[in-house]
Amino acid sequence: MATTAQPRIEEDTWIPTCCGQCYCMCGIKVRRQNGVITEIAGNPDAPSGRGSICVKGLASPHLLYDPYRVNYPMKRTNPEKGLGVDPKWERISWDEALETIVERLEECRARDPRGAYFQATTTQASEIRFGVIGFMKGFKTPNYWVSGGGLHCGNGAHFMNGIMHVSWSIIPDFAHCNYALNFGCSKGHGAGHVAVQNATQAADARFRGGKTVTFDPFLSAQAAKAHEWVPIKVGTDGAMALGMVNSLLNEHGIYDAEYLMYKTNGPYLIRPSDGRYQRDKETDKPLVWDLVDNCPKVHSDPSVTRVQYEDQAHEVALTGTYTVDGVACRPSFELLKEHVKKYTPEYVEEVTGVPAATVSRISKEFGEAAEIGSTVTIETSEGPKKIPSRPVATHFFRGTQGHVNSGWTCLSVDMVNHMVGAADTWGGAFGLGAAVGSGYEKTGKPYQIPYACPDGLLVAKTWVYDHVPYPMRVPKAPTRLDLHDMFPTSIYNAFTITNPRWFEMLDRFKIDYKPDVMINFGSNSVMTMGNAEQVTENFLKKFNFIFSFQLFVTEFEEAVADIVLPDTCFLERYTPAVSFPSTFSHPQGEDDWGWSIRQPVVEPLYERRDFNEVMLDISKRLGILGDYYKGLNDSIGIRYGGEMDEKYKLVEDGSVEHSWEDVCDRMLKDRFGEEHGLEHVRQKGVFTWPKKKEDVYWKWFNAARVPIYFEYFIDSGEQISKLWDEFGGQDFFDIDWSRFKALADWYPCPSHCETNPDYDMFAFYWRAVMHCNSMTQQNPYLDECGQEDPYVYAVQIHKDTATEKGIADGDNVWLENPEGHRVKGWVALTDGIEPHHLAVAAVAGHWGNYMPVAKGKGTFFNDLVEMDLPHTDPLTFNQDICCRVKIYKRNGQDEQ
Amino acid sequence: MPRYGMCIDLKRCYGCYACVMACKVKNHTPPGVFWSRVLKGERGTFPSTTRQALPVLCMQCDEPSCLEVCPTGATVKLDNGIVIVEKDKCMGCKYCMMACPYGARYTVEKWESYFPEGLPLSPYEEFAKKAWEEKSGVGVATKCDFCRDRLENGGQPACVEACSANARTFGDLDDPDSEISILIKKYRGEVLNPEIGNKPKVYYLAPR
Repeated sequence: MATTAQPRIEEDTWIPTCCGQCYCMCGIKVRRQNGVITEIAGNPDAPSGRGSICVKGLASPHLLYDPYRVNYPMKRTNPEKGLGVDPKWERISWDEALETIVERLEECRARDPRGAYFQATTTQASEIRFGVIGFMKGFKTPNYWVSGGGLHCGNGAHFMNGIMHVSWSIIPDFAHCNYALNFGCSKGHGAGHVAVQNATQAADARFRGGKTVTFDPFLSAQAAKAHEWVPIKVGTDGAMALGMVNSLLNEHGIYDAEYLMYKTNGPYLIRPSDGRYQRDKETDKPLVWDLVDNCPKVHSDPSVTRVQYEDQAHEVALTGTYTVDGVACRPSFELLKEHVKKYTPEYVEEVTGVPAATVSRISKEFGEAAEIGSTVTIETSEGPKKIPSRPVATHFFRGTQGHVNSGWTCLSVDMVNHMVGAADTWGGAFGLGAAVGSGYEKTGKPYQIPYACPDGLLVAKTWVYDHVPYPMRVPKAPTRLDLHDMFPTSIYNAFTITNPRWFEMLDRFKIDYKPDVMINFGSNSVMTMGNAEQVTENFLKKFNFIFSFQLFVTEFEEAVADIVLPDTCFLERYTPAVSFPSTFSHPQGEDDWGWSIRQPVVEPLYERRDFNEVMLDISKRLGILGDYYKGLNDSIGIRYGGEMDEKYKLVEDGSVEHSWEDVCDRMLKDRFGEEHGLEHVRQKGVFTWPKKKEDVYWKWFNAARVPIYFEYFIDSGEQISKLWDEFGGQDFFDIDWSRFKALADWYPCPSHCETNPDYDMFAFYWRAVMHCNSMTQQNPYLDECGQEDPYVYAVQIHKDTATEKGIADGDNVWLENPEGHRVKGWVALTDGIEPHHLAVAAVAGHWGNYMPVAKGKGTFFNDLVEMDLPHTDPLTFNQDICCRVKIYKRNGQDEQ
Repeated sequence: MPRYGMCIDLKRCYGCYACVMACKVKNHTPPGVFWSRVLKGERGTFPSTTRQALPVLCMQCDEPSCLEVCPTGATVKLDNGIVIVEKDKCMGCKYCMMACPYGARYTVEKWESYFPEGLPLSPYEEFAKKAWEEKSGVGVATKCDFCRDRLENGGQPACVEACSANARTFGDLDDPDSEISILIKKYRGEVLNPEIGNKPKVYYLAPR
């Protein structure tokens, strides 16, 4: 009898791993049927996500199998480089590619190894910490940056959050927060770090009745979900926040004196002559004034300190004048209180557009909701302990901090929390990710309990970079190509490297080498930094040779890469540490700790090879494996909470060749014991252990204080400006070093100072939930999803403004900045935007020929971002991403 | 026998499209087909403007118009209340698509790739094409079936599992103690356009 062959499912399995569509890197399960990835879901075992996964992660089968992926090494045969130049790619073998690369790196090493420059993407943050760092240490180059990332979203935010919370970011304790003030940030609404977990927590908070007020120029997801949307002028959040500090302290008289006395430097006595701490002559420690003994005491004297909430201590002065060693000093809190008086509700209204009465009302609501004086009892590992309950929080991210006032704005927004004691305690603003922990009980790793410096201020034990955010580095004569060594307050700088006089500057600063070989890992810096032409001509074209690990040929490769290497995507690779450093991306709150890993769910397709494996291969060919391993051993100590044990350290003399899997296995065994190596962690994709309550609400279990008065910025500014002048830096840039001072202020952006009435609109960008950076725009599922949304590919404009300008819904337009750069788009008319603003979702507007799904969708906002000093924060060197523009209709004749 | 329904809490939902994508990837729907969809709307005049996301899917009506108009009996309401299309009986007349007041039905005349024509199909798209043809097919009406196959294996609809806001609750409307029944009762869940009279089984909780 004839039978019909039925297709038989021979394999149908779910494999736990981690997503890689953005830097949140949530736990996922991937379904593989007969060798093909067919479905993706959240991994309930992973605290990062707990079974949920966002639209981007779900869409990733198309990333793995996209027919436009780079599948083979290619070389550029057209020697010309630049925007719009056809590279004339030619497929080559891996052998040829690696031989060429090693040859060029050897030539670079012979000239000066520091000419090698690593550029990487934030999207693959967990991979960077191995291949990039190992190579830099091994090859001995200090030059590295995450293109776009630091400039747009991190220099101000991560620096300030590191100082105040030993964490990358801040977020409300959604589980207990009753009043959250959101300064235009999409955390909890689909983007930002820990996106999925935060969305769950924020939704639970809404359901519970937690109130949210959102300041935002447009009706974003976070504004739409808030109880109150308060439209605000872009770039003025700092003024709003300082207005709140003023209103709390001087209008309503609401502040948490206990917190300020024992958990901040608010009581530190400041001498009037130079704004420095009045120090004890014997110990050199800052002094406070003991109101009981009526005398000065060093800040750490047991009689005036309270580590835990129930400790007893004398009250110390927050206001008044006290004479110490013949000098009349005042507590820093009083200086702050006086300093912010100029931020009256009326002034704030003038700057921000928020009515004065609203400033006052929201401050009062926030202060009252803080319930100062209230406590809760939590069950710690040492029994029940009482801690303050402060169920209010402010939070912010990229939109708030992407301005020339970045550093102080970030600090000001968080300062509101510290005035009412709502920091790292029940209901208040938490560090995000979870940054404080004593580690897995059997190994004590990752150990990340912060501690107090001699001045009593908070020092991170674990950090994402080699240097913790505080104490600050001492500025040094620069050796890096971006002069970074001179600027201890910044993560990256761009105003230096993208300047047309870059090489002249290098000579002036006595940097005796030039950019030589660029190694790019996944970044499309032509699109993600700023104006594409400035970036390409002034920076990227200065390299002799560029090779790039990529998933697609992006605009970056098209413009400047000499060799493209086909990288694996996150579904084809191992990564030993994804949710750690927890300062970066671990969910906050009471849920368990979870150390997630990536594992391949399919073997790499075609000739794709994993970045980390190839970097080991290149390093072997260069004979630098020993130093590469040493770089990883050293890096793990600071980033992952403790030095590697000798037993598991990678062998630094180069006598042993470690495979990438071996590196992963050793790291896991070192953190969690011999029985918990790669083979074990692979089973669930994550290793979990309980989080102690005192690690969640750590503020009143730690002796360290946080600054509300940034005394050490004064020293830092003096050191930097002196060094700058010594080199004649003022011939290149007139930097406003006065921003290095002790008390916060708001400063206007160039967009606020534009006087030409033609440029009457403020343009800014926002983050659409289905896109991260620029790569996701090539995913057809996500692209279709973007087209479902009325605004993702549009320029949002208020309907009355559009009418005044004769612009109709759907019209094609140009946005042009005062410097003459213009970008094209089409408009969507709305009532959900402040009438003088234009909102654009970034990073869109691809024009390259190798990502056809992405091509031509949306607006390339970053082309309006000027890469120069006037658009750079002098404190943190963050880039300004709000622009003054004119908008006008586009017709067929002026397409280019 | 349960009577399945869904409750969507619009206060929790923040319009992230994860439900849309979970449905796409689980059901391998081709371009333009959204068994699960998120509509976005705006109301009011600046600054008193509001925007709201409204996730929609087949309402699995107790008295479905689509069933009434189906000339071949392809549309069937199962004992558990789920409305399905038996694709072999469907002749593609689209009466049901016209009749459905919620626009929940889709048909494709030709299976299309998400990538430009002429490229070889990726292994994923080969799988997706086959899965679509086996379950739904071209020239016939297709729709959400509450991920019936998942329910049979003790799971939940893909859109429910994916929702990071826990906005969706799935369960038995006839069981007064089920989570969904309690939610609908306590928070006064409502259906969309009750005046049509189809008795939908997808309920919504108010956004504010």
